[in-house]
Amino acid sequence: MTENKSYDRSDRGDDRRERGGNRGNNNRRFVSRPKFCQFCSDPKIAIDYKNVDLLSRLINETGKIRPRRQTGTCAKHQREVATAIKNARHIALLPFEGDFWADNN
Amino acid sequence: MHKYELVVILQADLEEAVLDAAVENIETLIKSNQGEITKIDRWGKRKLAYPINKTNEGYYFYIEFDYKPEEVVNLKRTLGFNEQVLRSSVIRVD
Repeated sequence: MTENKSYDRSDRGDDRRERGGNRGNNNRRFVSRPKFCQFCSDPKIAIDYKNVDLLSRLINETGKIRPRRQTGTCAKHQREVATAIKNARHIALLPFEGDFWADNN
Repeated sequence: MHKYELVVILQADLEEAVLDAAVENIETLIKSNQGEITKIDRWGKRKLAYPINKTNEGYYFYIEFDYKPEEVVNLKRTLGFNEQVLRSSVIRVD
């Protein structure tokens, strides 16, 4: 959380360079990107707002929807993922904000 | 007629009998408007991802049904009037 606060937008270029140098010891910043869309490669995976296990992998620890560049999802499936997450938020399966795994334990 | 999915969150602190009655009420409500229920699933008590009406727990249940599109507005409104219902969502699937 403290890392987010120190994130300074006016200084974006520097931040990126720092992020790159941090890769070795900070897994949270750098997420290795899958080269293919998991939903295209396996059509059996249904994107469903009831599937909390799947969707919770597609949000970050602040509850935001993770971008395509991190998850490797293609544009078509990302749209479906986004609606599914929003539906799941409405019925309190996923949080609007904040880390809900921390509260669950 | 279209296919819909309904998820209702009831207050978790109600007694078993009251919960059963509430679920049955909603079933009969759907059936009385010529809805056809194809699947009922009770997820039971679950922790909510965020508090609703200052409670952290809810009793979830799920119904898959066929319904007339013009009646869905009424269904949503009736569920909203019900005080045992914390949250409900009707989603069209087809």
